[in-house]
Amino acid sequence: MNRRELGKLAAATGLAGLAPMRWAQAQTRAESLRILSQAGPNSFDPIGVGVNRSAIQAHWNIYDRLLRFGTTTRPDGTLYYDYYTIEGEMAESYDVSDEGKVITLHLRRDATFHDGTPVTAEDVKWSLDRVVNTPIGKSQFSTGSMTSADQFVVVDAHRLRITVPRADRFTLPNLAGTYPVIINSKMAKAHATAADPWAAEWLKTNVAGGGPFKLEAHTPGQSLTLSRFDAWKNGALPGFRRVLWQMVPNAQTRRTSLERGDADMAQDLPPQDAVSMAQEGKVKVVGVPMSGAFQFIGMNNTKPPFDNVKVRQAVAYALPYQQMFDAALFKRGHPLFGGKPNEADGTQFPQPLGYDTDLAKAKTLLTEAGFPDGFETTFFFELSLATVAEPVSLLVQESLGKIGIRVTINKVPGGQLGTLLQNKEVPFFFEASAAYFADPDYFFRIFYHGPTRWNFGSYANPEFQALVEKTRFESDHAAYEAEVSRMIALAKQEVPIILLWQPALDTGMQTSVAGYKYLFHRMLELRSLKRV
Amino acid sequence: MGFLLRRLLGLVPALAGVVVVTFVLTHLLPGDPAVFFANSVTADAATIAAVRQKLGLDLPLWQQFFVYVGQLLHGDLGQAIGTGQPVAADLLQRLPASLELTLVAFAIALLVALPLGIAAALRPGSLLDHLCRVLSTAGVSLPTFVSGLLLIYFLYYQLGWAPEPIGRIDPFAIMPPRVTGLLLLDTLLAGDLEGFGMAARQIVLPAITMALFALAPLARMTRAAMLGVLSSEFIRTARANGLRRRKIILSYALRNALLPIVTTLGMIFSNMLGANVLVERVFAWPGVGSYALDSLISLDYAPVQGFMLVMAGIFVLVNLVIDLLYAVIDPRTGLLTHA
Repeated sequence: MNRRELGKLAAATGLAGLAPMRWAQAQTRAESLRILSQAGPNSFDPIGVGVNRSAIQAHWNIYDRLLRFGTTTRPDGTLYYDYYTIEGEMAESYDVSDEGKVITLHLRRDATFHDGTPVTAEDVKWSLDRVVNTPIGKSQFSTGSMTSADQFVVVDAHRLRITVPRADRFTLPNLAGTYPVIINSKMAKAHATAADPWAAEWLKTNVAGGGPFKLEAHTPGQSLTLSRFDAWKNGALPGFRRVLWQMVPNAQTRRTSLERGDADMAQDLPPQDAVSMAQEGKVKVVGVPMSGAFQFIGMNNTKPPFDNVKVRQAVAYALPYQQMFDAALFKRGHPLFGGKPNEADGTQFPQPLGYDTDLAKAKTLLTEAGFPDGFETTFFFELSLATVAEPVSLLVQESLGKIGIRVTINKVPGGQLGTLLQNKEVPFFFEASAAYFADPDYFFRIFYHGPTRWNFGSYANPEFQALVEKTRFESDHAAYEAEVSRMIALAKQEVPIILLWQPALDTGMQTSVAGYKYLFHRMLELRSLKRV
Repeated sequence: MGFLLRRLLGLVPALAGVVVVTFVLTHLLPGDPAVFFANSVTADAATIAAVRQKLGLDLPLWQQFFVYVGQLLHGDLGQAIGTGQPVAADLLQRLPASLELTLVAFAIALLVALPLGIAAALRPGSLLDHLCRVLSTAGVSLPTFVSGLLLIYFLYYQLGWAPEPIGRIDPFAIMPPRVTGLLLLDTLLAGDLEGFGMAARQIVLPAITMALFALAPLARMTRAAMLGVLSSEFIRTARANGLRRRKIILSYALRNALLPIVTTLGMIFSNMLGANVLVERVFAWPGVGSYALDSLISLDYAPVQGFMLVMAGIFVLVNLVIDLLYAVIDPRTGLLTHA
């Protein structure tokens, strides 16, 4: 008998006097949700130094944004965000004028913050100003041509105008992203200081929002309690009145608690657990291939031997893709190997790069590249990815050994790999990353271009670079498709990095929990969840 | 008294050394925190530079050290980026959790290991001796996360006897007013027997898991020390004089065997307090061990330094207590002349 059944029994037999606290809870169990995840938020402010991924799950549900992405339904019934539809959230509607250079946002007239203060255009302006006045926020917002507070103009109490120098496909998606939360500016300003004009210190640990949930309690590293904001106007009222989110570092413990019926949802399931839980069928496991997210094998294109395109192709032909996909990922994801070689197959990216395991071809390419006897190299991976990276590295080592490439494996803590990559000191490695926006040129701009560590291959083909610049503001659809197709063809032919797969985001939940929605940032959307 | 004063004075240079060493060690770690914490994919070199400046890492190392010491003198251990809280607040929150778990586990280990070790030494080669050997071998060779997971699987998942192995108290329970931070004590102080029951049930599994780990060295040490003492001449004399068996074992043998046991105790205690990351992880116990490890992995300097400082302080204190215990147990040490 688990806790919930005990509660029901107790309530039914009128024993509620014995342990009033817990049984009172049990009666509202239908309206409360208990989530277990690996880690918790380290900030309620989306923009700050070192803000972690779990923080998104907090501020996404506590704050509103001006706009949000639409919703589609996957074949298996899971809700999925629709990047190409943008709808109003705190803004009731928006219109775009002057050839895309002016966006006018119309705020809802009845929306309030949690404390009852009406939401005004002043709050919105302060919140957007705050993004461009913070280094990390500014670097994100500049991908949508928003760099200065002058671009945000209050028209009247419920209207705000955003002006960009030229029409930009990324302005609206940026407004629907994780950064531009709308903050109760009066409340925040009361806590701002001369040294901290944007109240960053205060907003890190306090909430001044108006989203579908209110923060009730927070014990850092242990638990977070949210309650529904019943006066929320910016969407359908959430299905749960109360959400208890607890941090349980061990995946086994999360799984056990879920399968025993004490928890409602378990996040961050390792692939092997997702597979066996789905097989046992006690709980529901939803696995959605993460759009924009990818795992790959990187090579430093600027240093020998990987500066030679034939060496990179040889490696790409020598990898045991299917074995890695089966043994490391337990097939929980969408493969990016195989597929059409050398040229684009549609304009979506990431897409399969067209490489299959072909050791003979790999050996020939390696010989043509001038390494008939292979070479020695070191393969790096980050310890936090070890569940997948460890088997991958061993399979890579074994398979490359067959064509004469002798691989030494080097495991490093997460913080260190970032630094090594920043300094471009890593010859050969396994990594994972993700882009929030689905446009292929956005993906290429981050991961195949520029001096940052996110250009994992340090790829620097002049033709490709020119295309990345050109597609930035390309307004002619046909030209855009042609340019993207060319970039995809280059990414396939020159393989600066070898894409492996898009891993699935596996979330376990009780069969009574419905309305799960996958979002671009991969954290939970609490408002759509309900108990059936 | 003079001894105590000398010992206390000796702590000052030790702790000052710890401050320097923790600072240097953490800053010697490979990896650049500014790069790590500017973790958005749109972050470029300018963003990283801004983050570095915000973290104060753009200053020369010696200046950073003075800033750090200045903060310490104000009792400020800095900010933890990983949790978003002041380090002092984090440690204050987490240290009692670790302490409570360690104390309970330590008590269980002592209650089992001492009698077991003594019994095994009295009858070497007997069934009890073998049991002692099996238990300590198992305790040493089973990693704590394995024994923890096994306990969870049988006692919680299969049988349902143990509560959900998550945290220190039922998530829906109301926390008692914080006095010591030790839930078992605080609930009693508040007269909340139900809360005490909950906290007690919650601590049983992790404490047993930890006790299993501590049991092995303790039982082995007790057995060995007792064996050594029992075969010495003064015990033979006592026996020949026809003293009662209980008197021989407890007053003569055990007291003499206690010195190495107490030394082991001190080491095990400090070890349990700071290095039980695995138990903390498996039982979602909000202790200092996993906090320090997470901070270390994510290049979060301030909590690592704070943790090392506090642990060094505790270690020094435990050593002091052990030294004082020596004096009480064995007058020959001459530390307390009047004892």
